[in-house]
Amino acid sequence: MISGIFHTTYEKDMALRRTHAQKIRIVIVIVFLLVFPFLANRYALTLANQVGIAVIGAIGLNILVGYTGQISLGQGGFMAVGAYTAGILTARFGMPWWASTIVACFTTALIGTIFGIPSLRLKGLYLAIATLAAQVIILWVVTHWSALTGGVDALVVPDPKLFGIKINTDFNFYWVTWGLVGIVTIAAVNLFRTHFGRAFIAIRDQDIAASVMGVDLFKYKLLAFAVSSFLVGLAGALTAHYRNIVTWERFTVDVSVLYLAMIIIGGLGSVTGSYLGATFMTLLPVLLTNLGRAVKTSFPLIDSILPFVQQAMFGLVIILFLIFEPEGLNKIWKNIKDYFRLWPFSY
Amino acid sequence: MSRRIKVLFFVLTIASLILSACGQSGDVTPIKVGAIFDLTGATADVGTPYSEGVKGYVEWLNAKGGVEGHPIELISADYAYKVDVAEQLYTQYASEGVVAFMGWGTGDTEALRTKIAEDKLPFMSASYSAALLDMTAAPYNFLVGTSYSDQAIIAVRWAMEDWASKGNTDKPKVALIHHDSPFGQSPVADAQAYAEANGVAFTNLAMPKGATDYVAELAQMQTFGANYVIIQNVSSPAAVLLKDAKSQGSDFQFICLNWCADEILVSLAGDAAEGVIGTIPFAPPSSPVSGHTDPGEFLKTKGASLEAKGLHYSQGWWTMAVMTEGIRRVLKDGKEVNGENIRAALESISNFETGEVTSPITFTANSHRGNNSLTLFKVEGGKWLEVSDFISAD
Repeated sequence: MISGIFHTTYEKDMALRRTHAQKIRIVIVIVFLLVFPFLANRYALTLANQVGIAVIGAIGLNILVGYTGQISLGQGGFMAVGAYTAGILTARFGMPWWASTIVACFTTALIGTIFGIPSLRLKGLYLAIATLAAQVIILWVVTHWSALTGGVDALVVPDPKLFGIKINTDFNFYWVTWGLVGIVTIAAVNLFRTHFGRAFIAIRDQDIAASVMGVDLFKYKLLAFAVSSFLVGLAGALTAHYRNIVTWERFTVDVSVLYLAMIIIGGLGSVTGSYLGATFMTLLPVLLTNLGRAVKTSFPLIDSILPFVQQAMFGLVIILFLIFEPEGLNKIWKNIKDYFRLWPFSY
Repeated sequence: MSRRIKVLFFVLTIASLILSACGQSGDVTPIKVGAIFDLTGATADVGTPYSEGVKGYVEWLNAKGGVEGHPIELISADYAYKVDVAEQLYTQYASEGVVAFMGWGTGDTEALRTKIAEDKLPFMSASYSAALLDMTAAPYNFLVGTSYSDQAIIAVRWAMEDWASKGNTDKPKVALIHHDSPFGQSPVADAQAYAEANGVAFTNLAMPKGATDYVAELAQMQTFGANYVIIQNVSSPAAVLLKDAKSQGSDFQFICLNWCADEILVSLAGDAAEGVIGTIPFAPPSSPVSGHTDPGEFLKTKGASLEAKGLHYSQGWWTMAVMTEGIRRVLKDGKEVNGENIRAALESISNFETGEVTSPITFTANSHRGNNSLTLFKVEGGKWLEVSDFISAD
């Protein structure tokens, strides 16, 4: 009879996967991800790639917002930096796609750090506005610096190739995206077992206390911005190579809000939550659209109001989630696990 | 908690059952055309009548027996002007075997143009950026409306003629004020080149997003000494600009390019819209042309009217009509209906008549610029009235 998870040694407590069930689940997930592309059609693969890119972006944002407690509304802008850097380097200077992706990550990390400087003085809503300024400034630069970005016209990026194989087909790019999701996940999970990650969490919980304990706020806040932007830049660069066209309209402030919604609904300060939130927010509208399309054939009259119902549903679901489970999908997932683990004497 | 989960699973199961149950019934092979519309997003005010026009044409055509006996099956959804949703819907419809695709705005048209070239699907949208005329970058995009650049050039040309007809011997000064985005900037370079080649002083300035008044911009144009002001923006900010100009007592002659030259501008700006010139590629319902008869009668059977729907309805209607003409030619030649053949068929279209809603449409293998001329309209008594014959940009 189990009433909870109790560790008797430090090794067990520090382990990444603490229970057998966790180990089995991770194997199931990996097997699913490996088999999925062979069974899926192009549409499902497109969705999978969009989810994968969103997961990377959401983990990046979660490191900043969920783990370090620095709110950011600049996500769309930082993704634009990643996408345009990768796009420009490949399209204008003929750099291979993987190299431009790496450079894009570091460039975004640098830009993110610069826009993170106000965080040393500002907190909460004030920081939100400062990062919103980053979003606006970056998009303004992107649309007006036409010599560099192409300005008015979209930037067309040549097809990424590896050993002569075009990798931005939905099937091939799946392996790139989800391979990187795997690497990012392992890196993020382990980050919070190091002193860097623990410093981030200390800053989130109480920055003055963290400072008293010897955490250098200046260094670690900027580091959080850098690490977060690095991953967000990766998500942006992947978008550029995957769709091989970069347009500013993909990186509007809506995107910043959407990603914030992903991590809030998924669960702040949780890598699993980033996965769940990114998947949920990407697939819910798809589900609603397809549901609407299925219903449309039986009830043609609702055709005209359907789009509005979908929008309202989307908003309603988010509100309901926040009311009934403010800690997000990750908490719901935990509750499901606990329900089965502690059955029949859960309370 | 567990009950909520059960309910969630239940809903998902039902959803997947419904989805799998909705198979297609096959009578005469319908021709699938994909479409995305903005019904709830930033441009929904004009996107909705446009979508109704496209859908209306298909319904009207199918009721008449379809195209060469085949009905057109229009698969469409709202994408709320979100680029990633546009991509999802596009891939979904492409894998369902659509042979052509109807888009909407600048965002989705730009984002999809490399994929449609890969998938070889002809694409028409309501984005008339001249950048889409580059045959290597956008080989499957077709422009049914006169491009923004051509519209601006026609506006400058009209300004010169109007200035001269008023007895002036010098050249007018023209300002182009535009939405602060690629959509807004699109005609600037071409209009400037044309104006300067003709000795017309030219300036351009952006209308800041979300501004509540444009007094500062008006003052700038006053300082420049503009006689004519071309507006490349959507109707609501353009209406604010016109109202500000009226209250400031500015005496510019305003010329709206197509996205602010519509009924919405007149209803928003009221008196301030009087005398505004519009470069309108798709004739408004107030203009008595034969191309309005079919949509007008179709709408009457639905208890609506073309006047109430406005010019964006006939814009959607006739854009779909041009795409259908391509499909019709493929069927007539007895070829397989696929994107490549439709593209070739569209490129064989020469002087396709739209009942004077647009100037005749011509595509060739070297140019997907449907036309280069349009009629100018002027707001008089709250209505857009024709003030010129077709004026060409060349």
